[in-house]
Amino acid sequence: MSSSDLAEPGALDQVLILAPYRRDAAYLGQLLAEYDMGVATCISADELTAYLAAGPGVFVTTHEALTPTLIDIVARHLNAQPPWSDMPIVVLLDRASPNSRIRGQLAAAWPRSRQLFYQRPLTQVELVSGIQSALLARMRQREVRDHIEREIELRRELNHRVKNILASVFSIFEMTRRGATSVDGLADDFGARLTALSNVHSAVFEAKGEAISIAEIAQLTFDPYRQMGISRIDASGPSVMLTREAGTTLALCLHELTTNAIKYGALSVPNGQVAFHWDILPDLGPDLSVLWQETGGPPVVAPSRSGYGTRYLRAALGGLFGVKPDIMFATDGLRCEIKGPLARVACNPEAPDSVSGL
Amino acid sequence: MTSDTIGVRKPLRIYCIEDNPLIVFHIEHLIEDAGHVLAGFADSFSQLKADPAATHIDGALVDIDLADGRTGPDAAAWLKERGIPSIFVTGQQDVANLYADRVIAVIIKPIVAEDFAGKIQRLERRI
Repeated sequence: MSSSDLAEPGALDQVLILAPYRRDAAYLGQLLAEYDMGVATCISADELTAYLAAGPGVFVTTHEALTPTLIDIVARHLNAQPPWSDMPIVVLLDRASPNSRIRGQLAAAWPRSRQLFYQRPLTQVELVSGIQSALLARMRQREVRDHIEREIELRRELNHRVKNILASVFSIFEMTRRGATSVDGLADDFGARLTALSNVHSAVFEAKGEAISIAEIAQLTFDPYRQMGISRIDASGPSVMLTREAGTTLALCLHELTTNAIKYGALSVPNGQVAFHWDILPDLGPDLSVLWQETGGPPVVAPSRSGYGTRYLRAALGGLFGVKPDIMFATDGLRCEIKGPLARVACNPEAPDSVSGL
Repeated sequence: MTSDTIGVRKPLRIYCIEDNPLIVFHIEHLIEDAGHVLAGFADSFSQLKADPAATHIDGALVDIDLADGRTGPDAAAWLKERGIPSIFVTGQQDVANLYADRVIAVIIKPIVAEDFAGKIQRLERRI
């Protein structure tokens, strides 16, 4: 016997027949095949063990085939079943056999298993409908199994994401602490950065989990400040959907740029302006270009050493686009510009399956 | 390291393969704290292979799950073939254990500064 004789493990749709005497197995196999059921037959203990391991849909046996060894093999298989599995067993008795004794014996050997008994001779209709019904029950078990597997997969994915977010929060904290000069300053900056992370998380979740537009990110970043009366941020660009990761990174970058502008830049004075523009450059790949330009603020002095904001922008935008951003402390206003392949950051709506199994 | 050299060693060029920019940013600081330099970073194994900067490095810090899937172990093997020692930086100790022969150490996330510094010293001793 080669392994190719075995049914695809996990399909649970094959009828396994153990009927070694006369032409029982051939007859049963032919009958079930006429009703489009997949059939495997076994004779030896080794074959039975191998076929059971492959996960049959239903096990059909004649009572006279059941030697103590084979009963034991089946019992071990039943005991080793996962919690969702309950392999149905169809036992063909005959009129002359001591049927109540056999039933008692099998009930003891195979406790809590689903056993159907038929007494031969029986009509084809009776047997076929009994086996079909057992296969249907088995299909429901398969659905339960798939459901459990999906849940395990989801839990794994959730664990991975929670770990990731905790690692992010930890890094934000560590890096904020380094730049902090007072406990209040640390608390304010850390709180604001966590809020930015939390807002983009909520926005991505509400947008069905895997994509978010640049316009939405701009809105969720700037709206709290607009409500505080800071309305001198002009955000515009075409519709671009970003992946969850790219959207999160862009939101955190915009948070840094905005808070920096409010503390030191164009938004620290009444007449300063910020333009946040993005565009798709179709000739180049296409590329996505993103520009933050401050004007009308106090004269810009390049910092003697890079702070959290600048260093984060360099690492984050550099990682996102695969090229370093252009951050210029021009005297008339900070300018941050980056251009890179759209495909690196965009969420392709044509292929949602490629994103994740979630 | 010979004992009669002066105590100043040349900074190591350490590469970072990590798809979370916040962590790259954090690691960059920790590398500088240890007196070394971040030679470059990639968010995936494929980006590492395509980065010319990745060939002139003394060591690498490698996350396990990257932008192109669970390719960190492949990246570590690729670097090892080129004689470059790696350290896993991951939240997944169990997966790291499966590929322990490809790296010289494992740093568990969230990254604790003291642990990071200790593991970087192992890298220093390897060079």
